[in-house]
Amino acid sequence: MDDNYEQEQELVRQAQAGNQLALSELVNRYSMRIYHLGLRLTGTEQDAEDVLQETFLTMLKKIRQFQGKSSFYTWLYRVAINISLRKLKSKPRKYQHVSLDDPNIGKISSFPGEEWPDIDFDIIREKHFKEKLDKAIEELPDIYKTVFILRDLHELSTDETSKILQISVSNTKIRLMRARNFLKEKLEGVVHAEGLA
Amino acid sequence: MKCNDELIKEVCNYLGGDLDSTPCRMIREHMEKCRNCEIYIDKIKKTVEIYKRVDNCEDLPDSVCKKLFFTLNLKLPENK
Repeated sequence: MDDNYEQEQELVRQAQAGNQLALSELVNRYSMRIYHLGLRLTGTEQDAEDVLQETFLTMLKKIRQFQGKSSFYTWLYRVAINISLRKLKSKPRKYQHVSLDDPNIGKISSFPGEEWPDIDFDIIREKHFKEKLDKAIEELPDIYKTVFILRDLHELSTDETSKILQISVSNTKIRLMRARNFLKEKLEGVVHAEGLA
Repeated sequence: MKCNDELIKEVCNYLGGDLDSTPCRMIREHMEKCRNCEIYIDKIKKTVEIYKRVDNCEDLPDSVCKKLFFTLNLKLPENK
């Protein structure tokens, strides 16, 4: 994203001045990522679509207030995450969240010293696998899930993630470590249950 | 250094931090000797890779995209 920074700043200036093409370009540039973020956070396509629309409606309404203190996409991601989390709070959860304060979560491995085989991604993409992996993400408490999605799925940097979530860099790293460890443990269970190890 | 939570935190910093710093150097030295830690790091890397592959960011569905631009009262880009 750094390569496009200057170009994006100009686009944002034009959009703030009411240029419709610039607004369209900004929507076009980020719509897929915002939709995906909404889908991962809320877990349903309908909610993801709502998050998408509400995020860009907010952008249209508030883009003149954007002062460029952070990058534009940091601002937009923050809007989308706030909308997603608000939506989540208003609905019953599909899966119960785990507590990552559980001391067992911090342990290195349920099967220390045991290597995993090379992963066959065709098997992993099978529906029942995907459902188990999706369920594991949904079980993560929101504060961990958001960090994992931004850092590992959207491939943002630790610094960018901490700015979007307005938490410290060290807190971001700790949350990411806990999220990754939890997901690894879940995957470990799947690998064993499916006889892959 | 023992394999514990403290180490995991340091490993996390190691993966995203300055590789020449003293803690990173200590972790590297430890991991060269500790098979369990090596396997642990490999599993974490595989976990992230698997989730990324399965997640596979697909294009925004056409109908969702059209509805979005309509709602925003913006013109759909020509390449859409």
